[in-house]
Amino acid sequence: MSTTIEHETGAPHHAEPHAAGHVSYLKDGYSIWSWLFTVDHKRIGILYLIMLTLFFAVGGALAGLVRLNLITPSGMILENDQYNKTFTAHGVVMLFLFLIPSIPGVFGNFFVPIMVGAKDMAFPKLNIASWYVWMLGAGFAVLALLTGGLDTGWTLYPPYSTRSSHGNVVTGVFGVFITGFSSIMTGLNIIVTIHRMRAPGMTWGRLPLFCWAMYATSLIQLLATPVLAIALLLLMIESASNALGVPVGIFDPALDGDPVLFQHLFWFYSHPAVYIMILPGMGVVSELLTCFSRKNIFGYTAVAWSSVGIAIVGFLVWAHHMFVAGISYYAALLFSLLSMFVAVPSAIKVFNWVSTLYRGAISFQAPMIFGLGFIVLFTIGGLTGLYLATLGSDIHLHDTYFIVAHFHFVMVGGMVLAYLGAVHYWWPKMFGVMYSDFWSRIGAVLIITGYTLTFMPQFWLGYHGMPRRYPNYPAQFQFLNVMSTAGYTVQLAGFLLIHTYLILSFFTGKKAGPNPWAATGLEWAPTESPPITHNFDTTPRVVAGPYEYSLNLTQTGEKADVR
Amino acid sequence: MSASVAAGALKHHFEDIEQQRGAERLGMWMFLATEILFFGGIFLAYTVYRLLYPKDFADIAGRLNVAVAGLNTFLLITSSLTMTFAIRACQMGKRSTLLLCLAVSGLLGTGFMCFKAYEYYQDYEEGLMPWRTNFGQEKVHNPDDEHAPPTTLNEQWEKKGVAPQRVRLFMTFYFVMTGIHGLHIIIGIGVIAYLWYRGYMGWLTPDRYAAVEVSSLYWHLVDAIWLFLMPLLYLAGPHHSLHF
Amino acid sequence: MILQTTMLPPQASEIAWHVDNLIWFISAVCGITGLGVYGALLYFCIVYRRKVPNQLGYAPTPRILGSHKMELAWTVIPLVLFLGFFAWGAWIYNMCFHEPPDAPEIYIVGKQWMWKIQYPEGQRVILGQNSLDYSKTVGGEGYFEGVMVLPVNRPVKIITTSEDVIHDFGIPAFRQKIDVVPGRYTSTWYLPTKTGTYDVFCDQYCGTNHSLMVGKVVVVDGDTYTKWLAGTWSPDGGQGHGNRNAVDGSMAHQGRQLFMKLNCIQCHNTQNPRAPVLEEIFGTRRQFKDGTSVIADDEYLRESIRKPRAKVREGWEAIMPHFGTDKVSPEDLNKVVAYIKSLKKGDTPVRTEDWVPPVGAPTEERPQGKSSEGGGPK
Repeated sequence: MSTTIEHETGAPHHAEPHAAGHVSYLKDGYSIWSWLFTVDHKRIGILYLIMLTLFFAVGGALAGLVRLNLITPSGMILENDQYNKTFTAHGVVMLFLFLIPSIPGVFGNFFVPIMVGAKDMAFPKLNIASWYVWMLGAGFAVLALLTGGLDTGWTLYPPYSTRSSHGNVVTGVFGVFITGFSSIMTGLNIIVTIHRMRAPGMTWGRLPLFCWAMYATSLIQLLATPVLAIALLLLMIESASNALGVPVGIFDPALDGDPVLFQHLFWFYSHPAVYIMILPGMGVVSELLTCFSRKNIFGYTAVAWSSVGIAIVGFLVWAHHMFVAGISYYAALLFSLLSMFVAVPSAIKVFNWVSTLYRGAISFQAPMIFGLGFIVLFTIGGLTGLYLATLGSDIHLHDTYFIVAHFHFVMVGGMVLAYLGAVHYWWPKMFGVMYSDFWSRIGAVLIITGYTLTFMPQFWLGYHGMPRRYPNYPAQFQFLNVMSTAGYTVQLAGFLLIHTYLILSFFTGKKAGPNPWAATGLEWAPTESPPITHNFDTTPRVVAGPYEYSLNLTQTGEKADVR
Repeated sequence: MSASVAAGALKHHFEDIEQQRGAERLGMWMFLATEILFFGGIFLAYTVYRLLYPKDFADIAGRLNVAVAGLNTFLLITSSLTMTFAIRACQMGKRSTLLLCLAVSGLLGTGFMCFKAYEYYQDYEEGLMPWRTNFGQEKVHNPDDEHAPPTTLNEQWEKKGVAPQRVRLFMTFYFVMTGIHGLHIIIGIGVIAYLWYRGYMGWLTPDRYAAVEVSSLYWHLVDAIWLFLMPLLYLAGPHHSLHF
Repeated sequence: MILQTTMLPPQASEIAWHVDNLIWFISAVCGITGLGVYGALLYFCIVYRRKVPNQLGYAPTPRILGSHKMELAWTVIPLVLFLGFFAWGAWIYNMCFHEPPDAPEIYIVGKQWMWKIQYPEGQRVILGQNSLDYSKTVGGEGYFEGVMVLPVNRPVKIITTSEDVIHDFGIPAFRQKIDVVPGRYTSTWYLPTKTGTYDVFCDQYCGTNHSLMVGKVVVVDGDTYTKWLAGTWSPDGGQGHGNRNAVDGSMAHQGRQLFMKLNCIQCHNTQNPRAPVLEEIFGTRRQFKDGTSVIADDEYLRESIRKPRAKVREGWEAIMPHFGTDKVSPEDLNKVVAYIKSLKKGDTPVRTEDWVPPVGAPTEERPQGKSSEGGGPK
């Protein structure tokens, strides 16, 4: 339908560049409106970047409160109720306002069109609409958190959330509901862009692995998010009906509803959502490792299809979050078995990444350190997932700190490191400036060590049985909790450092050339730093695969040298 | 290809009109996939309760106005047909046929919504709105026994062993499902009206038939969803007689 | 296990032993794999590092695109290992839900924020640290820091349900947990193997005082357990609040009182029955009006009280009202069910109306439906 919207005459028929398209996208208009009403995928990416940074800071601060409170067994600073609202806010902000839109919103928007050789996303107006919709949802979520908060946990299990919670469930859930539409819009745009907008010669076999990963991510966003939407809608109706005094027990057993049904619907989205959060990170790492080891990726097909495999099998494993929720024995068997299958593609990826380094020429710039950190921490996150997919051990470890550690290793150790790797890798392309090489390496190492220190003790806590979501706990758990909080401070130092030198780079950073890493992708070779509004002067012709580092060839057949 | 394309039909970031049409078509199909999952989720939830409480659901489903629903089904299927004619008319450049087909589709959709509103009004009269405090307290005729004096629904349910909270559950699903579907119809009518306006202004040239095509894809999906809603809700219980 | 040192959590049940073996097996396999990956990573990073630091751009590297054999190997080998985990885990999981047939059934009812534990012999304990709210809601009945007592080397079955929201009853030393879901009954079983005191946690987030819904379980030897059931021994030597409940009869006995109090007897009696007699029905096949039938198990008995019209016995009218949670709490329901299960031939009590009048009492014009105790003329 979007064809129908533009009907101004005189727009160019073909690829002839037009004057406005020739300047850097950052200089194509300076007014605030030129940003807020932009349809340029790069500017939309930057809009996402700004808001995500803000939400990440909020979510991180909330995590700090949680960790501080857990220094002493009786809870150091927060009342039980405040603590519950804090960890819920941390979960909601980090998941829905940071992790899910993070790489797709910033780097998917900014780089997928460039990497496939297109001038823009397939639906530019839908693209900016997705940012506004996301902001609207975020607005509702933040409103709910500020005016009383939510005390339900991000999982929102009824009947607690609909009956006993004394938070702003309806407002908060409505916010999350809305952000879902934004997620769908972005996913739809990326899929259509990758399918239909590829430049001549950009076959599926030459598509960068980042694009493959984004494609798989978008599939999940498209097909899983609507189920969450309907589950949340029913939850809102039930909450509202309770508030209005005409209770409908959609999920409330006291009124013949079924609370486990909500869990099924919720995890049908929220398990694949884990892959929405990690798959883009996997794509980024494939880019980083090849570039900084000057090697072709080992097993391109395997890495590409394992992303799609994760996306598909990821839809069939949701009930492994419910092994102790009273589901039937045979359902548990089936979902445990399928969970084992979804673990395989991740293992394939790790083995391929490591093999890529074999006989490479490895240099350790900050993006590479993040990439290697990703492999180390994600491997731990992935392997500990096996304990939870296995029925016998899940019975003990479920809902303990073991799970908290596991998913933080995947989400933070995986996704956040990949996100930071992507920021550092593409920063010179996005803004045309270089950050401090020295400090960035320090920052990367700080974050990785701080991270490990924070979450490693939690595995042990979980094995000892400390349940999650406890503001106070038996005294024998204190030592490990203090260690964990200490790790948080190291991470915090790392994040402050990173933000400092990245911001400083705008003022003091030296100008970056078009291809500072001597990389091969379309975003580096025929593209300026920062890119011009229409990305390319002429539509690029792709003649080579994405990672021809040993031939020193970019995808358009030029020499891949530092420029 | 581009030589035959009218100025402005091709947007700047596409290489040629075929690429643009392909993108639009694929985009709509992807959107429809999300719609199917959206409705699929609530169909699933409904089905779970239908299987858990067959007796209660059948009893209340028998109260719904299946005659109006049947008529509505006919309206929607017909409007789908006229939407398809509209694409062909646009491709062939027959402006007046295009406008006629769009108008008929839009009007049939509007008719659907009017009948729907009438049904909602009946539910209101019978005290079947789950968010109202008079739920189950209005006196109505018992469909099992047409000659008996009207009694409140609560009394009828009590006699039959039907649990009111499950009826409330059914009616909630009924309003959510038909409500969301109705919202889709309203959006569809808006889209058709907008297309009609564009056609009336002479902007819907054959180059731009993709606009009609993707809109009709959406319209078909909304119809198809109704074809699932109708048996799920209205035919879930026995109907003793057909009346409006 | 050999690794069982003070650094490790106590291992106090049969299942715990199995779970630990599995966890350490997975750890060993994952540890070896992980160390292999890290070793290779480190080795490559050192050996293939750029000799000139910070150099970027062209370097002569071999163009290696992959290897089908290796891909196949690292697809199949992990899959086989993972399936091994799966099979072992499934075996343990199966064990958790199949208790020995003679295990006594202990009922646990979760409520914000306490655990109410009922033993078949009548003993009753409440776990939780949230005495403030408790006194508000229940009116100060009983004490709070109760201790759950279990016998060593004897299996017990745990049947749980919740009065409000979802909870989870977990004992880390037993490596066991089970979600406690309102409207459903979930069960597991324990075979404690070591005497001692262990933590009980609520593992499913349930609101403000989720972290106070905790307590202790004490595993004692058989003799002590018998004494405890009889109310003559308590874990704190009878000094504290551990066990002040005087044992007022078994659960079945308490159920009998409810059977009278809730007027079940008015219809379910032998003299003038308006509903089926409930003697020895447990485990038998029940025939219904609509032609279906089921074996009468716990689930059926509970449903027949909560939603009596769902299944109506052949030859009887659907006249029984629903007994929702407002009339019969989950705890009381457990008692009534225990009573029905215990009913033997001829056990059904006699209605008070049907009592033989005392000798000499006036035999005419006794008002119907009044109990003989208050049977004076009105």
